[in-house]
Parts: sequence; structure tokens; C-alpha cells
Amino acid sequence: MVYALFLLFVIIAVCILIEERNIRLIIYMTIFSLTASASFFFLGSPDVAMAEAAVGAFTTIFFVVCFEKYDDLKVDRLPQSVKKVQKNKKRWKALVLPLGFTVLLFGLFLYFMPDGEVNTYLKEQYLSRFMYEIGGENAVTAIYLGYRVYDTLFEALVLIISVIAVSHMSYSSKESVSDGRHSDVERSVVVVTVMRIVCAVVLLFGVYLIFNGHITAGGGFQGGLFIAIFFVCRYLIYNIYDLPIKKMFRLEEFIFFFTLLIVIFIVFLGVHAHFPPTFQAIYMVVMNLMIGLKVGCGFVILFYRFIAIERG
Amino acid sequence: MFEFSGGIAMILNNILTVAPILVFFICFFGLITGRKIIKSIILMAVMQASVVLFFLTIGFRSGISPPIGGHFEELQYVADPLPHALMITAIVIGVAVTTINITMLMSMFRTYKTTDWDIAEQKSMEDVE
Repeated sequence: MVYALFLLFVIIAVCILIEERNIRLIIYMTIFSLTASASFFFLGSPDVAMAEAAVGAFTTIFFVVCFEKYDDLKVDRLPQSVKKVQKNKKRWKALVLPLGFTVLLFGLFLYFMPDGEVNTYLKEQYLSRFMYEIGGENAVTAIYLGYRVYDTLFEALVLIISVIAVSHMSYSSKESVSDGRHSDVERSVVVVTVMRIVCAVVLLFGVYLIFNGHITAGGGFQGGLFIAIFFVCRYLIYNIYDLPIKKMFRLEEFIFFFTLLIVIFIVFLGVHAHFPPTFQAIYMVVMNLMIGLKVGCGFVILFYRFIAIERG
Repeated sequence: MFEFSGGIAMILNNILTVAPILVFFICFFGLITGRKIIKSIILMAVMQASVVLFFLTIGFRSGISPPIGGHFEELQYVADPLPHALMITAIVIGVAVTTINITMLMSMFRTYKTTDWDIAEQKSMEDVE
């Protein structure tokens, strides 16, 4: 099964390489994301599979909204100069050098690829000790909330930086934000009706993932992504830009500060390892909730700042 | 099964590790030769997914089970949880990068009215002159 999926990856990558129409590119990307999600599941990591599925849905909607705002992106009008160049056979000569370079790099990778048994010392240590030291029953959640909590903090920081970057670039247009304004694009009745049903399920699933992340597959990141998708569905239904973005950004900063405090006073001081199991579970649920709210806020701000960019 | 020797054996035995890297280099080739900005963004997203795939295939064997559920009997048939935890953060950062890319594309499209690298470069050079 995994082998078939991996063959599909290579085929889709080649399809993306030779495809010229924008809409089809996005469809291929969605298929790739879905296939990647399925193969993550077969590789034994349902956590990453759920994160990839959420990310695939989010990115696709981003592209679709981007196309909706600019009709010129949807219509694939190739400029005259490009068509002339495509007819010209010299373009094939220009491809030889990059192709050679790529094949050289791939060959170097194959030549230096390590062949042998993977070192499993750390894996065995983690798997045999995480239940007593961190708590919960999901080793992945235990690692990113306990052993490697630094990674989680810096990931949260990177997300804040990306939110600032998107806000900065969308402020560059003068008439960017006007609250409560409908966009002029008409919605399909089918989309609205289906979204009304789906969005409740999506929100419930996100909350479930956050609160059960330490026991089953899931966690703060995936739950936060699904909550962000709920707000994207809300935009698709009501077609309105009315969320208090600045307050949400303050909330995100506050949550990040609070997460830092929790980590400094509980994990770095070493108090956490001596907790009874009940408090360990409470710590994990609170941290998952913080991360979920933070990631959710971050992506909602990204999406709503993005749709605030106007044409012209 | 057939027994191969030399470099071919290494590739065939590790075909699951080689395939994501092949996808990575196909995307790399597309990035350095492509003309469309949208295609470049999508190729970067696919590249990121292929790197995640590469990390998850390390130490894979058939019949592997997720590292969830407490006490494990045979540790060699449980997936390594460390790459999973790292890849979740990598995926979230990847979608943030894609978002910034699309925002930059739209900002650029508003200025130059094109989605082609070469034409955008020409227009930006004209602006400088």
C-alpha cells in the first residue's frame, strides 16, 4: 500500500512539473496532500496525518480565495513572448544545464546515502519512560510537550512572526480593512449548504483533538488547525469580514506569554517530573489547549488578513 | 525475493527513502527552471511535504504501529515518535511559509500585473532605471 502511494507521489510531482494551467496545479497539490496524509497514516503516525490533512485543506482554500480575488490569475493568458519562446527549440537547450545539476545532486545523495541499521536508543528510552516522566499515553504529544518543549515554543514564535509579516504586507494597500463588508463574489448554493453542515463537525473535531491529544492521536497543533478551518468555513458561508483581528492578535500574544510562563515554572524547574499522574494530565490538557488556541488564532488572523487585501 | 548487489541493491532496499528525495529533486528542477510564480509556490509546498515523508520513512518496517497507547510489547514494531513530534511543527511552519508566499504573490501582482518571473523581473528593472 505504501509503495503504491509512493509511486503516486512521483507521478503527481511530474504532473505538477509539466502542467501549465493554474486550476489543475492546485488540484494536483490537493491530491498530493491527501496522498501524503494517507501514507503518513500507513507509516505509523496518525498525528502527522491529521496535521497534513488540515494543512492541505487550508492551503487549497487559500489558493482558491486568491484566484477569486484576481480573475487574471484564473485565466491562463500566456503572454506573447512566452508562446514564442515555447515554440523556439532553444528552450530545450536551456533545460539541459539545470537537469544535469539536479541529476548530479540526486546522484550525490544516492552515493552518500547511509546504509545500515537506524540507531534506536533514544526511541526505546522515550517509549519506555514517557508515561512516568511526562504522562499521557501518546508518545508524540509527550515529546513535544515534555522532552522537546523548546521546539514547540520556537514554532509558536515563528507562527507569530509569519502573522506579523502577512499583516505588514496586507497593510500596504490603502483601502484594506473595512469591517462588516461583504465581498461581491456570489456563492454557490451547494457550497453554502454543505458548509453549514460540515463546519459544526469540524469545530467539534478540533475541540475533541485538543482535549484528547494526550491519550489518542491528536494534540494542540492539529486541533488549532481544525478550529482555524472552522473560521474559514464561516467565511465561506457568510462571506463577511467582521472578526476583531487586532484583539485576536493581542489574545495570541497573551497566550504565547502564558505558555512561556507555564513552561518556565513547571518544566524548566523540574517540578513536572514529580507530579502525580492526575496533575500531569491536567498540565498536558492545559498546554494542548494553549497551543491549540494559539495556532487557531494565528491561522485565523492569517486568513482574514489575507482576504482583506483588495484588488487594485 | 531477488538478491541485488552494489548500489542498485541499496536503492531497491531503501526505495521508500529514495522516492521522497526523488520527488524533492523533481520539485527542485521545477523551481530552477519554472516561469510561473504560482507553480513555484506549489512546488515549494510539495517539497516541504516530501521532506516530511523522508523523515517518517526512516526506520520503517512493514507491520509498524503508531506510538500510542501506553505499554508496548515489541519496541521494534513501534514507530519512532521523535520525528513525528518534529514533523508536526515542521508542517505548521510550512503552511505559514506558503501563506506568506501567496501574500507576497498578490502584493507583487498588484504592482506588476503579471505572474511570470521573467516579466516581473523586467518590470522591476524598468522601475529601477
